[in-house]
Amino acid sequence: MASDHTTTAETAITKGDITRLAFRSSMLQAGFNYERMQSVGFTTAMQPLLKKIYHDDPEGLKAANKDSLEFINTHPNLVGFLMGLLISLEEKKEDRALIKGLKVALFGPIAGIGDAIFWFTLLPIVAGVCASFAIQGNLLGPLIFFGVYLAVFFMRIGWTHMGYSLGVKAIDKIKDGSAMISKAATILGVTVIGGLIASYVHIDVVASFAIDATHKVGLQKDFFDKIFPNLLPMGYVMLMYYLLKKKQVHPVALIATTFVLSIVLSWLGIL
Amino acid sequence: MIEITLTQGLLLAAVAFIFGIDFWLEALFLFRPIIVCTVTGFILGDVQIGLITGGLTELAFAGLTPAGGVQPPNPILAGIMTTVIAHSAGVDAKTAIGLGLPFSLLMQYIILFFYSAFSMFMPKVERYVSENNSAGLGRMSLLMTLIVACTYALVVFLCAYSAQGAMQALVKAMPEWLTHGFQVAGGILPAVGFGLLLRVMLKAQYVPYLLAGFLFVCYVQIQNLLPVAVMGAAFALFVYFNSKPEAAPAAPVAKTEEDFSNGI
Repeated sequence: MASDHTTTAETAITKGDITRLAFRSSMLQAGFNYERMQSVGFTTAMQPLLKKIYHDDPEGLKAANKDSLEFINTHPNLVGFLMGLLISLEEKKEDRALIKGLKVALFGPIAGIGDAIFWFTLLPIVAGVCASFAIQGNLLGPLIFFGVYLAVFFMRIGWTHMGYSLGVKAIDKIKDGSAMISKAATILGVTVIGGLIASYVHIDVVASFAIDATHKVGLQKDFFDKIFPNLLPMGYVMLMYYLLKKKQVHPVALIATTFVLSIVLSWLGIL
Repeated sequence: MIEITLTQGLLLAAVAFIFGIDFWLEALFLFRPIIVCTVTGFILGDVQIGLITGGLTELAFAGLTPAGGVQPPNPILAGIMTTVIAHSAGVDAKTAIGLGLPFSLLMQYIILFFYSAFSMFMPKVERYVSENNSAGLGRMSLLMTLIVACTYALVVFLCAYSAQGAMQALVKAMPEWLTHGFQVAGGILPAVGFGLLLRVMLKAQYVPYLLAGFLFVCYVQIQNLLPVAVMGAAFALFVYFNSKPEAAPAAPVAKTEEDFSNGI
Protein backbone atom coordinates (compact mmCIF):
# COMPACT_ATOMS: atom_id res chain seq x y z
CA MET A 1 0.00 0.00 0.00
CA ALA A 2 2.66 2.44 1.07
CA SER A 3 4.94 1.37 -1.77
CA ASP A 4 2.68 3.36 -4.10
CA HIS A 5 3.94 6.52 -2.48
CA THR A 6 7.33 6.55 -4.11
CA THR A 7 7.50 10.34 -3.90
CA THR A 8 10.70 11.04 -2.00
CA ALA A 9 9.47 13.34 0.72
CA GLU A 10 12.15 15.65 2.09
CA THR A 11 14.22 13.68 4.62
CA ALA A 12 12.75 15.50 7.53
CA ILE A 13 14.25 13.27 10.19
CA THR A 14 17.08 14.93 12.10
CA LYS A 15 19.74 13.65 14.47
CA GLY A 16 17.75 15.16 17.32
CA ASP A 17 14.71 13.12 16.26
CA ILE A 18 16.73 9.91 16.52
CA THR A 19 18.07 10.87 19.95
CA ARG A 20 14.50 11.55 21.10
CA LEU A 21 13.50 8.17 19.67
CA ALA A 22 16.26 6.61 21.78
CA PHE A 23 14.79 8.11 24.96
CA ARG A 24 11.25 7.17 23.90
CA SER A 25 12.46 3.59 23.39
CA SER A 26 12.49 3.40 27.20
CA MET A 27 8.69 3.11 26.99
CA LEU A 28 9.01 -0.30 25.37
CA GLN A 29 7.43 -2.16 28.28
CA ALA A 30 4.91 0.53 29.25
CA GLY A 31 1.92 -1.53 28.10
CA PHE A 32 3.34 -5.01 28.65
CA ASN A 33 0.76 -7.77 28.50
CA TYR A 34 0.72 -11.44 27.63
CA GLU A 35 -1.21 -11.01 24.40
CA ARG A 36 1.23 -8.80 22.49
CA MET A 37 4.00 -8.32 25.08
CA GLN A 38 5.84 -5.05 24.31
CA SER A 39 3.89 -4.00 21.21
CA VAL A 40 1.94 -1.17 22.88
CA GLY A 41 5.07 0.54 24.20
CA PHE A 42 6.91 -0.12 20.95
CA THR A 43 4.20 1.57 18.90
CA THR A 44 3.91 4.44 21.39
CA ALA A 45 7.64 5.11 21.19
CA MET A 46 7.60 5.18 17.38
CA GLN A 47 4.60 7.55 17.10
CA PRO A 48 6.28 10.97 16.67
CA LEU A 49 8.59 9.77 13.90
CA LEU A 50 5.99 7.67 12.11
CA LYS A 51 3.68 10.69 12.17
CA LYS A 52 6.48 12.83 10.75
CA ILE A 53 7.22 10.37 7.95
CA TYR A 54 3.57 9.85 7.04
CA HIS A 55 2.39 13.41 7.74
CA ASP A 56 0.55 13.56 4.40
CA ASP A 57 -0.43 9.90 4.20
CA PRO A 58 -2.95 8.71 6.82
CA GLU A 59 -3.31 5.33 5.15
CA GLY A 60 0.45 4.78 5.20
CA LEU A 61 0.56 5.74 8.89
CA LYS A 62 -2.25 3.33 9.65
CA ALA A 63 -0.41 0.50 7.90
CA ALA A 64 2.85 1.31 9.71
CA ASN A 65 1.08 1.51 13.08
CA LYS A 66 -0.70 -1.76 12.46
CA ASP A 67 2.63 -3.51 11.77
CA SER A 68 4.18 -1.87 14.84
CA LEU A 69 1.43 -3.24 17.02
CA GLU A 70 2.22 -6.84 16.09
CA PHE A 71 3.69 -9.07 18.81
CA ILE A 72 7.19 -8.14 19.88
CA ASN A 73 9.39 -9.19 22.80
CA THR A 74 12.93 -7.90 22.75
CA HIS A 75 15.47 -6.21 24.97
CA PRO A 76 14.56 -2.79 26.47
CA ASN A 77 18.09 -1.42 26.24
CA LEU A 78 18.91 -2.58 22.70
CA VAL A 79 15.47 -2.03 21.15
CA GLY A 80 16.56 1.45 20.03
CA PHE A 81 18.72 -0.26 17.43
CA LEU A 82 15.67 -2.00 15.96
CA MET A 83 13.59 1.19 16.15
CA GLY A 84 16.29 3.22 14.40
CA LEU A 85 16.63 0.59 11.70
CA LEU A 86 12.88 0.38 11.09
CA ILE A 87 12.53 4.17 11.01
CA SER A 88 15.21 4.37 8.30
CA LEU A 89 13.23 1.82 6.27
CA GLU A 90 9.91 3.57 6.88
CA GLU A 91 11.54 6.82 5.80
CA LYS A 92 12.65 5.24 2.51
CA LYS A 93 9.08 3.89 2.17
CA GLU A 94 10.41 0.38 1.79
CA ASP A 95 8.06 -2.46 1.12
CA ARG A 96 5.83 -3.21 4.14
CA ALA A 97 6.59 -6.92 3.93
CA LEU A 98 10.33 -6.18 4.21
CA ILE A 99 9.85 -3.93 7.25
CA LYS A 100 7.57 -6.43 8.92
CA GLY A 101 9.86 -9.33 8.10
CA LEU A 102 12.97 -7.62 9.43
CA LYS A 103 11.25 -6.69 12.66
CA VAL A 104 10.09 -10.26 13.24
CA ALA A 105 13.48 -11.67 12.25
CA LEU A 106 15.50 -9.36 14.46
CA PHE A 107 13.66 -8.88 17.73
CA GLY A 108 14.47 -12.40 18.95
CA PRO A 109 18.24 -12.32 18.31
CA ILE A 110 18.41 -8.81 19.78
CA ALA A 111 16.65 -10.06 22.91
CA GLY A 112 19.14 -12.93 23.10
CA ILE A 113 22.18 -10.66 22.80
CA GLY A 114 20.71 -8.18 25.28
CA ASP A 115 19.89 -10.83 27.88
CA ALA A 116 23.34 -12.39 27.49
CA ILE A 117 25.16 -9.11 27.90
CA PHE A 118 23.00 -7.17 30.34
CA TRP A 119 21.40 -9.79 32.56
CA PHE A 120 23.85 -12.66 32.47
CA THR A 121 27.22 -10.93 32.22
CA LEU A 122 27.05 -7.32 33.32
CA LEU A 123 24.66 -7.81 36.25
CA PRO A 124 26.53 -10.64 38.04
CA ILE A 125 29.81 -8.74 37.73
CA VAL A 126 28.55 -5.30 38.75
CA ALA A 127 26.26 -6.72 41.44
CA GLY A 128 28.99 -9.02 42.76
CA VAL A 129 31.59 -6.28 43.04
CA CYS A 130 29.19 -3.63 44.36
CA ALA A 131 27.54 -5.99 46.85
CA SER A 132 30.94 -6.88 48.28
CA PHE A 133 31.45 -3.16 49.00
CA ALA A 134 27.92 -2.69 50.36
CA ILE A 135 28.16 -5.62 52.78
CA GLN A 136 31.16 -3.91 54.38
CA GLY A 137 28.94 -0.86 54.89
CA ASN A 138 30.62 1.08 52.10
CA LEU A 139 28.36 3.52 50.25
CA LEU A 140 30.57 3.12 47.17
CA GLY A 141 28.73 -0.14 46.43
CA PRO A 142 25.34 1.36 45.48
CA LEU A 143 26.98 4.48 44.06
CA ILE A 144 29.14 2.54 41.60
CA PHE A 145 26.13 0.38 40.72
CA PHE A 146 24.04 3.45 39.98
CA GLY A 147 26.86 5.03 37.93
CA VAL A 148 27.37 1.94 35.80
CA TYR A 149 23.67 1.55 35.02
CA LEU A 150 23.26 5.25 34.31
CA ALA A 151 25.99 4.91 31.67
CA VAL A 152 24.29 1.76 30.36
CA PHE A 153 20.98 3.65 30.12
CA PHE A 154 22.52 6.30 27.87
CA MET A 155 24.00 3.66 25.57
CA ARG A 156 20.56 3.41 23.96
CA ILE A 157 21.27 6.70 22.19
CA GLY A 158 24.22 5.04 20.48
CA TRP A 159 22.26 1.91 19.52
CA THR A 160 19.44 3.97 18.02
CA HIS A 161 21.72 6.13 15.90
CA MET A 162 23.60 3.01 14.86
CA GLY A 163 20.41 1.29 13.75
CA TYR A 164 19.20 4.34 11.85
CA SER A 165 22.45 4.95 9.98
CA LEU A 166 23.27 1.35 9.18
CA GLY A 167 19.92 0.67 7.58
CA VAL A 168 19.63 -2.76 6.06
CA LYS A 169 23.40 -3.34 6.16
CA ALA A 170 23.09 -3.67 9.91
CA ILE A 171 21.77 -7.21 9.87
CA ASP A 172 25.04 -8.58 8.60
CA LYS A 173 26.91 -6.60 11.24
CA ILE A 174 24.83 -8.13 14.01
CA LYS A 175 25.53 -11.60 12.77
CA ASP A 176 29.27 -11.05 12.21
CA GLY A 177 30.84 -9.76 15.39
CA SER A 178 28.37 -10.74 18.06
CA ALA A 179 29.24 -14.43 18.44
CA MET A 180 32.80 -13.75 19.59
CA ILE A 181 31.77 -10.84 21.80
CA SER A 182 29.07 -12.94 23.34
CA LYS A 183 31.52 -15.79 23.96
CA ALA A 184 34.11 -13.51 25.55
CA ALA A 185 31.42 -11.91 27.71
CA THR A 186 30.21 -15.33 28.83
CA ILE A 187 33.74 -16.34 29.86
CA LEU A 188 34.06 -13.19 31.94
CA GLY A 189 30.66 -13.79 33.52
CA VAL A 190 31.28 -17.45 34.29
CA THR A 191 34.63 -16.66 35.96
CA VAL A 192 32.99 -14.13 38.24
CA ILE A 193 30.16 -16.52 39.08
CA GLY A 194 32.80 -19.05 40.16
CA GLY A 195 34.14 -16.43 42.55
CA LEU A 196 30.65 -15.47 43.70
CA ILE A 197 29.87 -19.06 44.63
CA ALA A 198 32.96 -19.27 46.84
CA SER A 199 32.27 -15.89 48.47
CA TYR A 200 28.55 -15.76 48.96
CA VAL A 201 27.01 -19.18 49.31
CA HIS A 202 27.34 -20.17 52.96
CA ILE A 203 26.71 -23.69 54.16
CA ASP A 204 28.23 -24.34 57.57
CA VAL A 205 27.64 -27.71 59.11
CA VAL A 206 27.65 -27.28 62.88
CA ALA A 207 27.01 -30.92 63.69
CA SER A 208 29.87 -32.87 65.25
CA PHE A 209 30.45 -36.41 66.41
CA ALA A 210 31.83 -37.27 69.79
CA ILE A 211 34.57 -39.90 69.52
CA ASP A 212 35.08 -40.11 73.24
CA ALA A 213 34.53 -37.84 76.22
CA THR A 214 37.16 -35.30 75.17
CA HIS A 215 37.43 -35.61 71.40
CA LYS A 216 34.87 -34.36 68.93
CA VAL A 217 34.99 -34.37 65.16
CA GLY A 218 33.37 -31.28 63.67
CA LEU A 219 31.93 -32.19 60.31
CA GLN A 220 32.73 -28.85 58.74
CA LYS A 221 36.19 -28.15 60.16
CA ASP A 222 37.58 -31.65 60.25
CA PHE A 223 35.87 -33.20 57.26
CA PHE A 224 34.48 -30.95 54.52
CA ASP A 225 37.12 -28.21 54.82
CA LYS A 226 39.86 -30.85 54.76
CA ILE A 227 38.60 -32.25 51.47
CA PHE A 228 38.06 -28.88 49.86
CA PRO A 229 37.00 -25.46 51.10
CA ASN A 230 33.55 -24.41 49.91
CA LEU A 231 32.81 -27.95 48.77
CA LEU A 232 29.19 -27.80 49.93
CA PRO A 233 28.37 -24.39 48.37
CA MET A 234 29.75 -25.50 44.99
CA GLY A 235 27.96 -28.84 45.30
CA TYR A 236 24.64 -27.18 46.09
CA VAL A 237 24.95 -24.73 43.20
CA MET A 238 25.68 -27.66 40.86
CA LEU A 239 22.65 -29.49 42.23
CA MET A 240 20.50 -26.41 41.52
CA TYR A 241 22.02 -26.17 38.03
CA TYR A 242 21.25 -29.82 37.39
CA LEU A 243 17.65 -29.56 38.61
CA LEU A 244 17.00 -26.36 36.65
CA LYS A 245 18.68 -27.44 33.43
CA LYS A 246 18.08 -31.16 33.17
CA LYS A 247 14.91 -31.60 35.22
CA GLN A 248 13.33 -28.24 34.36
CA VAL A 249 12.33 -27.64 37.97
CA HIS A 250 10.68 -24.25 38.54
CA PRO A 251 12.98 -21.74 40.33
CA VAL A 252 10.32 -20.88 42.91
CA ALA A 253 10.03 -24.57 43.79
CA LEU A 254 13.79 -24.65 44.44
CA ILE A 255 13.62 -21.51 46.57
CA ALA A 256 10.81 -23.03 48.63
CA THR A 257 12.66 -26.34 49.00
CA THR A 258 15.86 -24.57 50.03
CA PHE A 259 13.88 -22.69 52.65
CA VAL A 260 12.16 -25.69 54.12
CA LEU A 261 15.39 -27.68 54.04
CA SER A 262 17.29 -24.89 55.84
CA ILE A 263 14.69 -24.68 58.58
CA VAL A 264 14.45 -28.43 59.05
CA LEU A 265 18.23 -28.83 59.16
CA SER A 266 18.48 -25.92 61.58
CA TRP A 267 15.85 -27.57 63.79
CA LEU A 268 17.81 -30.83 63.68
CA GLY A 269 20.95 -28.93 64.67
CA ILE A 270 22.86 -29.92 61.55
CA LEU A 271 23.24 -26.47 59.97
CA MET B 1 11.51 -2.97 68.20
CA ILE B 2 11.48 0.28 66.27
CA GLU B 3 8.22 1.63 64.85
CA ILE B 4 7.96 2.81 61.26
CA THR B 5 6.45 6.31 61.40
CA LEU B 6 3.67 7.45 59.09
CA THR B 7 6.10 9.82 57.32
CA GLN B 8 8.51 6.96 56.73
CA GLY B 9 5.66 4.78 55.46
CA LEU B 10 4.59 7.47 52.99
CA LEU B 11 8.16 8.09 51.86
CA LEU B 12 8.64 4.36 51.29
CA ALA B 13 5.43 4.32 49.23
CA ALA B 14 6.71 7.26 47.20
CA VAL B 15 10.03 5.66 46.35
CA ALA B 16 8.25 2.37 45.63
CA PHE B 17 6.19 4.27 43.05
CA ILE B 18 9.41 5.34 41.30
CA PHE B 19 11.15 1.97 41.67
CA GLY B 20 7.97 0.33 40.34
CA ILE B 21 8.02 2.38 37.15
CA ASP B 22 11.72 1.67 36.75
CA PHE B 23 11.23 -2.10 37.10
CA TRP B 24 8.24 -2.05 34.76
CA LEU B 25 10.34 -0.31 32.10
CA GLU B 26 13.69 -1.88 33.07
CA ALA B 27 15.25 1.52 32.52
CA LEU B 28 17.76 2.65 35.16
CA PHE B 29 18.05 -0.49 37.32
CA LEU B 30 17.05 1.48 40.41
CA PHE B 31 14.84 -1.52 41.17
CA ARG B 32 17.77 -3.76 42.13
CA PRO B 33 17.96 -4.55 45.86
CA ILE B 34 21.35 -2.85 46.27
CA ILE B 35 19.74 0.52 45.42
CA VAL B 36 16.29 -0.20 46.94
CA CYS B 37 17.76 -1.28 50.29
CA THR B 38 20.17 1.64 50.52
CA VAL B 39 17.38 4.16 49.83
CA THR B 40 15.10 2.34 52.29
CA GLY B 41 17.87 2.45 54.91
CA PHE B 42 18.27 6.15 54.28
CA ILE B 43 14.53 6.76 54.80
CA LEU B 44 14.61 4.74 58.01
CA GLY B 45 17.61 6.73 59.23
CA ASP B 46 19.92 3.72 59.18
CA VAL B 47 21.98 3.66 55.99
CA GLN B 48 24.36 1.03 57.37
CA ILE B 49 21.65 -1.62 57.70
CA GLY B 50 20.42 -0.67 54.23
CA LEU B 51 23.86 -1.23 52.76
CA ILE B 52 24.22 -4.62 54.41
CA THR B 53 20.75 -5.89 53.49
CA GLY B 54 21.30 -4.38 50.04
CA GLY B 55 24.48 -6.32 49.43
CA LEU B 56 23.03 -9.59 50.73
CA THR B 57 19.66 -9.29 48.98
CA GLU B 58 21.32 -8.25 45.72
CA LEU B 59 23.33 -11.46 45.73
CA ALA B 60 20.35 -13.59 46.66
CA PHE B 61 18.53 -12.10 43.64
CA ALA B 62 21.51 -12.18 41.26
CA GLY B 63 20.08 -14.93 39.10
CA LEU B 64 16.41 -14.03 39.47
CA THR B 65 16.07 -11.91 36.36
CA PRO B 66 13.10 -11.03 34.16
CA ALA B 67 15.12 -12.04 31.08
CA GLY B 68 12.90 -13.44 28.36
CA GLY B 69 9.72 -12.04 29.90
CA VAL B 70 9.69 -14.40 32.88
CA GLN B 71 8.71 -12.57 36.04
CA PRO B 72 11.01 -13.34 39.01
CA PRO B 73 10.21 -12.86 42.71
CA ASN B 74 9.96 -9.11 43.08
CA PRO B 75 13.29 -7.43 43.92
CA ILE B 76 11.67 -4.15 45.07
CA LEU B 77 9.44 -5.71 47.73
CA ALA B 78 12.29 -8.01 48.77
CA GLY B 79 14.62 -5.04 49.18
CA ILE B 80 12.22 -2.78 51.04
CA MET B 81 10.79 -5.43 53.36
CA THR B 82 14.15 -7.05 54.15
CA THR B 83 15.49 -3.68 55.22
CA VAL B 84 12.32 -2.70 57.10
CA ILE B 85 12.33 -6.00 59.01
CA ALA B 86 16.05 -5.87 59.77
CA HIS B 87 15.63 -2.31 61.07
CA SER B 88 12.35 -2.50 62.96
CA ALA B 89 12.54 -6.02 64.36
CA GLY B 90 16.29 -5.85 64.88
CA VAL B 91 16.97 -9.23 63.31
CA ASP B 92 20.09 -10.28 61.45
CA ALA B 93 20.15 -9.24 57.77
CA LYS B 94 20.24 -12.85 56.56
CA THR B 95 17.23 -13.75 58.67
CA ALA B 96 15.44 -10.68 57.34
CA ILE B 97 15.90 -11.88 53.73
CA GLY B 98 13.92 -14.98 54.61
CA LEU B 99 11.18 -12.96 56.30
CA GLY B 100 11.01 -10.57 53.35
CA LEU B 101 10.56 -13.31 50.76
CA PRO B 102 6.76 -13.78 51.12
CA PHE B 103 6.24 -10.07 50.27
CA SER B 104 8.43 -10.48 47.24
CA LEU B 105 6.39 -13.47 46.04
CA LEU B 106 3.14 -11.56 46.68
CA MET B 107 4.26 -8.74 44.38
CA GLN B 108 5.47 -11.21 41.77
CA TYR B 109 1.96 -12.66 41.56
CA ILE B 110 0.39 -9.20 41.38
CA ILE B 111 2.62 -8.34 38.40
CA LEU B 112 1.75 -11.65 36.74
CA PHE B 113 -1.91 -10.78 37.21
CA PHE B 114 -1.35 -7.43 35.49
CA TYR B 115 0.41 -9.13 32.57
CA SER B 116 -2.74 -11.12 31.95
CA ALA B 117 -5.25 -8.41 32.86
CA PHE B 118 -3.65 -5.78 30.62
CA SER B 119 -4.48 -7.97 27.60
CA MET B 120 -7.99 -6.63 28.08
CA PHE B 121 -6.80 -3.18 27.04
CA MET B 122 -5.71 -4.49 23.65
CA PRO B 123 -9.03 -4.06 21.77
CA LYS B 124 -9.06 -0.41 22.81
CA VAL B 125 -5.41 0.00 21.78
CA GLU B 126 -6.18 -1.56 18.40
CA ARG B 127 -9.07 0.83 17.88
CA TYR B 128 -6.86 3.85 18.64
CA VAL B 129 -4.19 2.56 16.27
CA SER B 130 -6.70 1.98 13.47
CA GLU B 131 -7.86 5.59 13.94
CA ASN B 132 -4.25 6.90 13.92
CA ASN B 133 -4.98 8.25 17.40
CA SER B 134 -1.44 8.67 18.78
CA ALA B 135 -2.61 10.58 21.84
CA GLY B 136 -5.02 7.81 22.78
CA LEU B 137 -2.30 5.21 22.35
CA GLY B 138 0.07 7.23 24.52
CA ARG B 139 -2.62 7.52 27.21
CA MET B 140 -3.01 3.74 27.26
CA SER B 141 0.74 3.25 27.78
CA LEU B 142 0.70 5.81 30.56
CA LEU B 143 -2.41 4.33 32.16
CA MET B 144 -0.95 0.82 32.42
CA THR B 145 2.35 2.14 33.81
CA LEU B 146 0.51 4.25 36.40
CA ILE B 147 -1.66 1.35 37.51
CA VAL B 148 1.49 -0.66 38.18
CA ALA B 149 3.26 2.22 39.95
CA CYS B 150 0.28 2.97 42.21
CA THR B 151 -0.02 -0.69 43.11
CA TYR B 152 3.63 -0.73 44.21
CA ALA B 153 3.07 2.34 46.39
CA LEU B 154 -0.06 0.85 47.96
CA VAL B 155 1.41 -2.60 48.60
CA VAL B 156 4.58 -1.16 50.13
CA PHE B 157 2.60 1.20 52.37
CA LEU B 158 0.37 -1.64 53.58
CA CYS B 159 3.24 -4.08 54.14
CA ALA B 160 5.78 -1.70 55.67
CA TYR B 161 3.52 0.59 57.70
CA SER B 162 0.13 -0.96 58.39
CA ALA B 163 1.25 -4.53 58.97
CA GLN B 164 4.28 -3.80 61.10
CA GLY B 165 2.63 -4.72 64.40
CA ALA B 166 1.71 -8.16 63.16
CA MET B 167 5.15 -8.55 61.63
CA GLN B 168 6.94 -7.73 64.86
CA ALA B 169 4.70 -10.00 66.88
CA LEU B 170 5.51 -12.78 64.45
CA VAL B 171 9.25 -12.18 64.72
CA LYS B 172 9.01 -12.09 68.54
CA ALA B 173 7.11 -15.35 68.66
CA MET B 174 9.61 -17.25 66.54
CA PRO B 175 11.75 -19.85 68.30
CA GLU B 176 15.53 -19.76 68.03
CA TRP B 177 15.83 -22.70 65.60
CA LEU B 178 13.39 -21.02 63.20
CA THR B 179 15.22 -17.68 63.07
CA HIS B 180 18.48 -19.57 62.69
CA GLY B 181 16.83 -21.56 59.89
CA PHE B 182 15.95 -18.34 58.09
CA GLN B 183 19.53 -17.23 58.50
CA VAL B 184 20.79 -20.50 57.04
CA ALA B 185 18.38 -20.12 54.14
CA GLY B 186 19.63 -16.57 53.54
CA GLY B 187 23.12 -18.00 53.22
CA ILE B 188 22.16 -20.78 50.80
CA LEU B 189 19.62 -18.88 48.70
CA PRO B 190 22.20 -17.28 46.36
CA ALA B 191 22.95 -20.85 45.21
CA VAL B 192 19.56 -20.94 43.45
CA GLY B 193 20.36 -17.61 41.80
CA PHE B 194 23.78 -18.77 40.63
CA GLY B 195 22.23 -22.04 39.41
CA LEU B 196 19.79 -19.98 37.33
CA LEU B 197 22.61 -17.93 35.83
CA LEU B 198 24.60 -21.05 35.03
CA ARG B 199 21.59 -22.72 33.44
CA VAL B 200 21.81 -20.09 30.72
CA MET B 201 25.55 -19.49 30.59
CA LEU B 202 27.37 -22.68 31.40
CA LYS B 203 28.47 -24.98 28.61
CA ALA B 204 31.15 -27.66 28.95
CA GLN B 205 33.71 -25.39 27.28
CA TYR B 206 33.23 -22.76 30.01
CA VAL B 207 33.72 -25.06 33.01
CA PRO B 208 37.48 -24.24 33.30
CA TYR B 209 36.65 -20.56 33.84
CA LEU B 210 34.05 -21.37 36.49
CA LEU B 211 36.60 -23.50 38.34
CA ALA B 212 39.31 -20.86 38.00
CA GLY B 213 37.12 -18.15 39.51
CA PHE B 214 36.01 -20.53 42.27
CA LEU B 215 39.55 -21.66 43.15
CA PHE B 216 40.87 -18.13 43.15
CA VAL B 217 38.41 -17.02 45.82
CA CYS B 218 38.81 -20.24 47.82
CA TYR B 219 42.54 -19.71 48.32
CA VAL B 220 43.24 -15.99 47.86
CA GLN B 221 42.05 -13.51 50.47
CA ILE B 222 40.33 -10.67 48.61
CA GLN B 223 38.42 -7.60 49.81
CA ASN B 224 35.99 -7.54 46.92
CA LEU B 225 35.38 -9.37 43.68
CA LEU B 226 37.16 -6.91 41.40
CA PRO B 227 40.32 -9.06 41.08
CA VAL B 228 38.17 -11.99 39.92
CA ALA B 229 36.49 -9.76 37.36
CA VAL B 230 39.90 -8.62 36.09
CA MET B 231 41.04 -12.24 35.84
CA GLY B 232 37.83 -13.07 33.94
CA ALA B 233 38.48 -10.14 31.62
CA ALA B 234 41.98 -11.49 30.99
CA PHE B 235 40.54 -14.91 30.05
CA ALA B 236 37.94 -13.25 27.85
CA LEU B 237 40.50 -11.15 25.99
CA PHE B 238 42.78 -14.15 25.58
CA VAL B 239 40.02 -16.22 24.00
CA TYR B 240 38.77 -13.28 21.93
CA PHE B 241 42.16 -12.56 20.36
CA ASN B 242 43.21 -16.15 19.94
CA SER B 243 40.13 -17.55 18.25
CA LYS B 244 39.25 -14.60 16.03
CA PRO B 245 41.45 -15.47 13.03
CA GLU B 246 40.09 -18.98 12.67
CA ALA B 247 36.52 -18.14 13.60
CA ALA B 248 36.06 -15.33 11.10
CA PRO B 249 36.42 -17.28 7.85
CA ALA B 250 35.23 -20.65 9.15
CA ALA B 251 32.12 -19.90 11.23
CA PRO B 252 29.06 -19.71 9.00
CA VAL B 253 26.56 -16.99 9.75
CA ALA B 254 23.70 -19.37 10.37
CA LYS B 255 25.57 -21.08 13.18
CA THR B 256 26.13 -17.76 14.92
CA GLU B 257 22.45 -17.12 15.05
CA GLU B 258 21.70 -20.57 16.32
CA ASP B 259 24.10 -20.01 19.20
CA PHE B 260 21.90 -17.34 20.71
CA SER B 261 18.60 -19.04 20.36
CA ASN B 262 19.96 -22.13 22.06
CA GLY B 263 21.97 -20.32 24.68
CA ILE B 264 19.48 -17.80 25.86
